[in-house]
Amino acid sequence: MIVEFWGQEFKVNIIFGCIGAFLVSILASMFGFGGGPFMVPLMTVGLGLPMYLVVGSSLIAIFFNTVMGSLRHYQFGNFDMTFFLIMFPAAILGGYIAPQIAKRISPLMVKRVAVVGLMLLALNLLGLY
Amino acid sequence: MITKKNIILILLFLLAMGSYYIHPGEAQDPAVSIESAQPIAAATPGAEEAPPAPAVAPPPPNVTFSIDKTSVVNGGAVTVKGQGVSGKPIYLEVWSERQVRSSFFDSKPDKDGKIPYRLYLTQAMPASYKIYATKDKKDVFDAFKAKGGGWSYSDALKEMGADVAYSAPSKIAIDAYQSTILASIIGSRGEKLATLDDKETRRRAMQLTKARFRGIGNLISPSIEQNADGSFIAKVNIPQGAAPGKYFIVAYADKALRSQPAVVENNINFPTMYLANAGTSLNLVWPFLLTLAIGVFGVLMGAGGGFLLNPLLISLWPLPHTVVAGTVMPTVAFSQASGIYNYSKIKFINWKLGVTMGIATLAGGFIGPKLTELITLDQYKFVFGWILIVLAALMFWQTTPGYLKKNKKEQAIMSEFKKRAEAAAKAK
Repeated sequence: MIVEFWGQEFKVNIIFGCIGAFLVSILASMFGFGGGPFMVPLMTVGLGLPMYLVVGSSLIAIFFNTVMGSLRHYQFGNFDMTFFLIMFPAAILGGYIAPQIAKRISPLMVKRVAVVGLMLLALNLLGLY
Repeated sequence: MITKKNIILILLFLLAMGSYYIHPGEAQDPAVSIESAQPIAAATPGAEEAPPAPAVAPPPPNVTFSIDKTSVVNGGAVTVKGQGVSGKPIYLEVWSERQVRSSFFDSKPDKDGKIPYRLYLTQAMPASYKIYATKDKKDVFDAFKAKGGGWSYSDALKEMGADVAYSAPSKIAIDAYQSTILASIIGSRGEKLATLDDKETRRRAMQLTKARFRGIGNLISPSIEQNADGSFIAKVNIPQGAAPGKYFIVAYADKALRSQPAVVENNINFPTMYLANAGTSLNLVWPFLLTLAIGVFGVLMGAGGGFLLNPLLISLWPLPHTVVAGTVMPTVAFSQASGIYNYSKIKFINWKLGVTMGIATLAGGFIGPKLTELITLDQYKFVFGWILIVLAALMFWQTTPGYLKKNKKEQAIMSEFKKRAEAAAKAK
C-alpha cells in the first residue's frame, strides 16, 4: 500500500502492519490499556514510517480498538459506572495539567524515570519482590 | 481517494454493525442477575424479618448467639457470643446481601485427561463471604495456606469440617458455557449448557467462591474460641472496603443444627462509595488522585495511563481485573479522541493508513475482552508484568543516543510540517 503524507510517498507492507495491529489490539483490549506505545514502534520500526506520520495515524488505528474493546467490556459487564465517573475527570484534568509541566522538564528525564518505574512495577507484578 | 467524511461514515457503520452483532448470543446477562437474586434469599428464610435487636433467640434449634452491635460504619468487628452443642465444633457463616459476578474457567484436565474448557459464570456471588471455624482448626488452615494459590477450597472446607456451614453460595444460579477455540476467536462465550443440577451447582459454586475471593485468609478464619460446654465467642470482622448493606451471620453445629440468622448493617459514607460491579467499597479520593497523577505522568512519558493505572489499581485495592480493564479502557478512549481531533485539525493524520490498521484492531478489540474473563487475577498480573518489561525496554531504547539522533532529525521535519499545516489551516 502506498501512503501519501504532505507530498511524500511511502510504501508500506500493510499485511504485516495489520497482523501486528491485530495482535497488539488483542493484548490492549484484554488488559485494558491504550496500546499506543506498542503501535508506534510497530509503525516506525515494523513498517519503516517516519515518526511525524505515525503520531497521528497510530492514534486512529488504536482508537478503533479502544472503542470496540470498551463496548465489549461493557457487554460482558466489566464496566463500573461509579468508578468511571471518578477516573474520567481525573484523567481529563491530568491531560490539562501535563502540558504545563512538560514545558519545564526534560522528556529524556521523564523517560528514564518511567523505565525504572515500569521495571519496578513489572517485577512487583511478577511477584519477584 | 478516501475522504475523511467517508471514513467517518465507515467508522459509524462498523460500530453499528459491531454493537448489533454482539446482541444475539449474549443478551441474556441482565435477566440472569434478576433471577439469581432468589436463591440467596431462599437459603435464609425469614432473614428479612430477623429482628434488629442484638439478641436472636429462636426456640427450635439449640444453637443460639447474640451480637454486640447491629451496625458498623465502613466495616468493623462484631463480637458474637453464643451457645453451641458440647462436643460439636461450631462454625459461623457470614455473608453479604450484595451480590457480585464471579467467573471461573475450567481448563484443568479431568480424570480422563480431557480438558473441559468450560466457563462458569454467576451474577449472585455474595460480595463478601467468610466461614469462621474454631481455633483448633488452625493447623489445617495453615497447611492449606502454605499451598499458596493452588489450594482447594472444597478440600479445605472438608478437612476443617466447615463444609456443614457452606450454605449461602451453594445454591446460586450458575451459567455454564462450553468454550471452543472457534467461539473464542469470534469472541463468544460459547454454547450455553443445560442448567446445572444441585450437586454440580454446589461444586462449581465452591470454585466460583474461590475464584472471587482467592486467598484462604479471605474465606476461612479459624478464630472462634469454644469451651467444652459448647459456648463460644468470636469476633466477626467486616473489613474496610466491604460492600455496604446487610450482613447475615449464622452459626452451625452441624448441617441440620443451625441458628437463626443475625443481621449486621454495614454503613458507608461519602467519599467512600460502593462499586457495584467490583463488589468493593472505596474511598474515592484515592483512585481520583492516583488517576490524576498517572494521567499527568502518562502524558509526559508518552504512554497512555492504562499501563501504570491498571496494575496499580489491582495491586492497591481488591478490584477484579475484569472491572479494572473494562473501566479504564473507556477512560483512555477520550484522551485518544482528543488527540485525533487535534492532529486532524492540522491534517496531520493519514486516514487511509490509520483506518486500514484500525479495522485490524477492531477485530482484536472484539476478541480481547472475552479473554479477560477467562484468566485469573494471577495470570493477569503475570502477563501484565511481562508487557511492562517490554514497554520498559521500548522506553529505554527511546533514551539511547542512536534513537535520539534520529528522533531529532524527524522532530525537525515534523515541526516544519506542522508550521506548514498550521499556515494552511489559517489560510482557509
